[in-house]
Amino acid sequence: MSAHWIALRLGDTAPTTAPVPSDPLAALAWRVLQVTPWVAQVDDALVFDISASERLFGGRAALLEHLGLSGAHTGAVYWAQGATSLLALGRLAGVPPGTCTPFPPRGPDMVPEIAADALPLHALTSARPHLPTLARLGCHTWGQLRALPRGGLARRFGADVLAALDQAYGLRPDIYPWIRVPEVFDAPLELAAQVESAPALLFGARRLLAQLLAWLRARQLGVQRLELRWELDARRGNAQHLDAHHQGSDHGRLELHTAQATQDMRHLERLLGEQLARVRLPAPVLYLRLRSLATQALPTESQSLLPDSVRSGDSLHQMLERVSARCGAAQVLCAQVYADHRPERMQQWQTWSGAPAPVQPHRKPAAADSAADASGALYPTWLLATPQRLLSQRSGPQFHGPLTLLVGPRRLEAGWLDGESSVLRDYFVARSARHGLLWIYRQRLGSGDPDGTQDWYLHGYFA
Amino acid sequence: MTAAQAQQAFSIHPSAEEALDGLHAQVWRAHAWARASLHTVATGEALLDAQLPGGGWPVGALTELLQEAGVHNEWRLLLPALAQHGSGPVVLVGPPHPPFAPALLAQGLQSQRLLCLCPGAFAMDTARKATPLAPASCLWATEQALRCAAVDTVVAWLAQVRPHELRRLQLAAAEHHKLLFVVRSLQAQHEASPAVLRLKLSLNDQSHVCVEVLKRRGPPVADLVQWAARPAALQQLLAAHGAPERPPLAQMPPARQMRQRP
Repeated sequence: MSAHWIALRLGDTAPTTAPVPSDPLAALAWRVLQVTPWVAQVDDALVFDISASERLFGGRAALLEHLGLSGAHTGAVYWAQGATSLLALGRLAGVPPGTCTPFPPRGPDMVPEIAADALPLHALTSARPHLPTLARLGCHTWGQLRALPRGGLARRFGADVLAALDQAYGLRPDIYPWIRVPEVFDAPLELAAQVESAPALLFGARRLLAQLLAWLRARQLGVQRLELRWELDARRGNAQHLDAHHQGSDHGRLELHTAQATQDMRHLERLLGEQLARVRLPAPVLYLRLRSLATQALPTESQSLLPDSVRSGDSLHQMLERVSARCGAAQVLCAQVYADHRPERMQQWQTWSGAPAPVQPHRKPAAADSAADASGALYPTWLLATPQRLLSQRSGPQFHGPLTLLVGPRRLEAGWLDGESSVLRDYFVARSARHGLLWIYRQRLGSGDPDGTQDWYLHGYFA
Repeated sequence: MTAAQAQQAFSIHPSAEEALDGLHAQVWRAHAWARASLHTVATGEALLDAQLPGGGWPVGALTELLQEAGVHNEWRLLLPALAQHGSGPVVLVGPPHPPFAPALLAQGLQSQRLLCLCPGAFAMDTARKATPLAPASCLWATEQALRCAAVDTVVAWLAQVRPHELRRLQLAAAEHHKLLFVVRSLQAQHEASPAVLRLKLSLNDQSHVCVEVLKRRGPPVADLVQWAARPAALQQLLAAHGAPERPPLAQMPPARQMRQRP
């Protein structure tokens, strides 16, 4: 099967609000790699051979359509095609700039194809240094150049002109250093102007994220951890600056974590925005660098025949990550229940991490069927983090007025194995006129109290 | 035609009235409350259900609970509905104390479902000091939770909140169809509120819950609804220890007295 080459060149980017990838040609190449492995960059254009993939995608037109839809480049892309890569390139360069054909192609007759012999000589890169000489010879098209004697041509203009001509006419194979998608994403970006405030870095970071998206799509991955680095202007004295993001050197960094691997750049952008809002830059920044630290293969979504009832809104992971990015990790807690007799050790509120919470050593997590445990209903629904000491009078403990002891004592003697956290308590259910039922306890004698008095503590509310 | 016959002819048969109700579901009659396709979750207490439009907590609307400052009796009121409604996370925004997960588990709310946002008022261990957040952050977190697809219920303790902020929460709850409770102090009783349902919680001398419906979509309610609102095991324990559990006769209308829980 004869080869079919396509050449693509980026036009000017249209002014849009969508972020432009930091390296649009590489992003485009990664997109093209989804349909063919034979992609190369020649000058400022991409060339690729689609002949081997045409059947898989259901014909040339379908393949081009697939390529045109599979990702959105914000600016115009021009294209041309031919039997060899240099012919396609020549057709792309041979027409005046205004009359290039935009990609993706529309309509059945896609490109008015110029015959190879009629292509102007400036469309052949290796002939460009010799254009004035050739013009004086009366030689303006590829056909005229090819008609010259080969020996004289090679002696006069060098072997590479002849080689390029042969390659363009299919007499030599098209071999290039092929583009591969890198294993790890690591892209630098030079900012257009010095950036003084950290939130303004987000504009540059958005372009890097757009590039990251192209990379993730090409490798069918989702990202879990990312690192954003910025280089500080070396002329300012910033070597002593130390905080969470700057370690005294001339660059700063922050890491983004997501609980689930994602390709959702809007979510990453919001996370990054929240993180950057808390960064203080000691000096202006001119360079950014985005690196992927951990990625995971992303399963593609299966498309259901029936419309299922999808609830609108964000996913739980995204919501909790956003809250912890903005308010701090300590502000998102989940409960872990442990099997213990001491109420304060029966549960722990720990920071949410996405994964199932790590179980602490020496503490046994409660079995899931402990709901059947009837004693659970006898516990208060609010448990104070630290028991509150109550004023006690002769009539008994006081808490916003006198308390009436209703039930008790229920003796608790536990934790003696743990040494200092052993408890010796008598629990009572008491009634307060204002607060309703309370869970209070009396520290028992011999529990190590120096003055030997009995202390009353409030431990929970039956709310 | 005798008078008795005439009366029979013009009075509408009960079953006919039901049919009329079905036909004219869109017509609201002033003596009835608005029923228009309210999605509700039963409160777990028939006495209270009878007072609420649609027979339960409204889903996709803001319910406001007002209590005396410093008193928090909301679990007794909310737990049956929280345990029953959905299986997704129950997000608590800014709770005043740490909820005790084993007790909630015993009443049907699994601890895996509990999520605490902005627990500014308590820090469980001294190593991790969670500083109280600004009210604006709590509001923001509440709204984020409402906009999350997986969340079923949001309970928010909002100390300082203005009516337009509540309105924003009400709209978010309506858009994403969430059960939303906002717990505030009693000082807010006379402020304007966009809440669909406003309840005032208090305790009687038996420490039973008394609920006064301040606002609902329907005619005003005159009397209090009160019941024990405790798990059966605790109720039995109190009875065994001789705590008097007689219903407060003075405040109960006779019809409701019959339906008083033992």
